[in-house]
Amino acid sequence: MTTPQLEISGLIKRFGGLTALNSVDLSIGQGELVGLIGPNGSGKTTLLNIVSGYYPADGGTIRHSGTSVLGKAPHQLARQGIGRSFQITKLFKRLTVLENMLVAGLSDGTTSRAAATERAMGLLADLRLERLAHERAASLSGGQGKLLEFARVMMLEPEIILLDEPFGGVHPELKRFMHERIAAWNAAGVTIILISHDMGSIFELCARVVTLSYGDIICDGTPDETRNDPAVLDAYLGEQHG
Amino acid sequence: MTPQRARTLALGVLLAGFAVLPLLLGDYWIYTLTIGFYYAILAASWALLVGYVGRISFAQAAMAGLGGYASALGVQHLGLPPVLGLGLAVLVSGALGLAIGWLTLRLHGAYLGLTTIAFAEILRITATAEYGLTEGSRGLQVAPLLTGGSRTEYYYLLLGVTAGCLVLMGLLLRSRLGLFFQSIREDEDGAASLGVNVTLWKMVAFAISSAFAGLAGGLYGHFVQLITPSMMSLQEMGIVLAMAVIGGFHNVLFAALGGVALQVLLEALRELGEWRLVAFGLVTLLVLRLMPNGIFGAAVATIAARMRRNGGDE
Ligand SMILES: Nc1ncnc2c1ncn2[C@@H]1O[C@H](COP(=O)(O)OP(=O)(O)OP(=O)(O)O)[C@@H](O)[C@H]1O
Ligand SMILES: [Mg+2]
Repeated sequence: MTTPQLEISGLIKRFGGLTALNSVDLSIGQGELVGLIGPNGSGKTTLLNIVSGYYPADGGTIRHSGTSVLGKAPHQLARQGIGRSFQITKLFKRLTVLENMLVAGLSDGTTSRAAATERAMGLLADLRLERLAHERAASLSGGQGKLLEFARVMMLEPEIILLDEPFGGVHPELKRFMHERIAAWNAAGVTIILISHDMGSIFELCARVVTLSYGDIICDGTPDETRNDPAVLDAYLGEQHG
Repeated sequence: MTPQRARTLALGVLLAGFAVLPLLLGDYWIYTLTIGFYYAILAASWALLVGYVGRISFAQAAMAGLGGYASALGVQHLGLPPVLGLGLAVLVSGALGLAIGWLTLRLHGAYLGLTTIAFAEILRITATAEYGLTEGSRGLQVAPLLTGGSRTEYYYLLLGVTAGCLVLMGLLLRSRLGLFFQSIREDEDGAASLGVNVTLWKMVAFAISSAFAGLAGGLYGHFVQLITPSMMSLQEMGIVLAMAVIGGFHNVLFAALGGVALQVLLEALRELGEWRLVAFGLVTLLVLRLMPNGIFGAAVATIAARMRRNGGDE
């Protein structure tokens, strides 16, 4: 078997008395598009924050293509191919859309501005943002902001991208477009972990769905298996039907 | 006219204007403007840190004082020529800036501000207390930069250095470093997620900003030839802050112009005594509220809008 792209084992995270991740094991292969779901507070964002270097772990290991991730700073992991977006977008509002892209494109310290600009304009065109390239990010709508965050992450030429709730507050038409882009990037070989409360999107896009509940993985299977899993139904009962 | 050319032209006219001023002014105002250039570098260095990186500091005047003492003492005790004394000022202030940057990495907002005030006061009080070295509040005699230099010669020297510093800052801020700085100001986590080494650049920004302040302070000392710990005081810091804010602290040139303009006003309104500071305080508050890009920022925006309108009519 080849080394997984991302291998998480025995991952523990506590916040004071609260165990946000309770010995999580998860292995993700190169080129997978995995949905990560779970009720509010189940630990999805926490998992993502640890994988991308924002939080230290209290136990366990994470390997990216065989090398350990824990202890590395977020910018190191970003340059090493782990890209992420944020549940609440973190755009550079007073910079232009293009400058937002260039921050990512130039952060390696070696890429020339001309090359980064060309790549940025290509990606912006892919996401239908090229006309806004010289506008300040502050002037974007919520949906356009989500697209810009996508585009910025792709500037890193990542091997894995971790998307935290990319469809929040996005209107249906734009959502369809985002689905398309996510599927296309995945088809191009990028491994994607997609966190969303939008079950429609998850079940449509992801062949594999992982469900977290109170810091435990309670299900890891196909959309069909997930939909019919009693533990998953149980976990969501309190939230959606209670 | 393209905005690019308009800007080049405006900068040329500005520099030419400062170049001919000594021909029109008496010694007193030439001296005043030369001091204004000291403040220009200092206000610009503060703007670089606060306006671009979003890191607040109240230690800028203290860093200038440190540079002033470093250069003066380097000349006096190590026998350095004043030019190398200035180099020492840049190194010492830059190094302490780096250290403060490191110590305050995790601090934000009020905590960062208060910590830098503490550093500034430690420096000022040390300079006052180390009587044997600094002669305390009596003041330290400093060797002149130009032996027998006239006021006009000092004027042109400081004008040249100020222009040089601004060009250097401009180049720095136009490079990828400028983008990293601004991304940190906008959102540290977002910047890190895109590969920006936030920790490193925050420290480097403090170091660069302090190094420029140190150079300004060194020059000031060798020009006025007497420095006292009061140049490190929080009142001085307040004046530098007012200069940068009123000029426009999101642009190093505007902040620098604020430095020169307020220094001239400080002298012109000498009769008003301490009331000048009250007035500057009020103007600072008003500008912060009404013109976030400062007076020069607002002026340039107005002119640019008018040019666009006129361009559209043709
Ligand atoms: N920085 C933090 N400090 C303290 N507790 C935290 C912190 N971050 C998360 N938690 C707690 O950890 C648990 C998991 O939170 P997390 O944000 O990972 O949930 P989530 O699955 O992303 O939820 P949501 O669907 O609402 O985004 C929650 O109980 C949360 O309150
Ligand atoms: Mg979350």
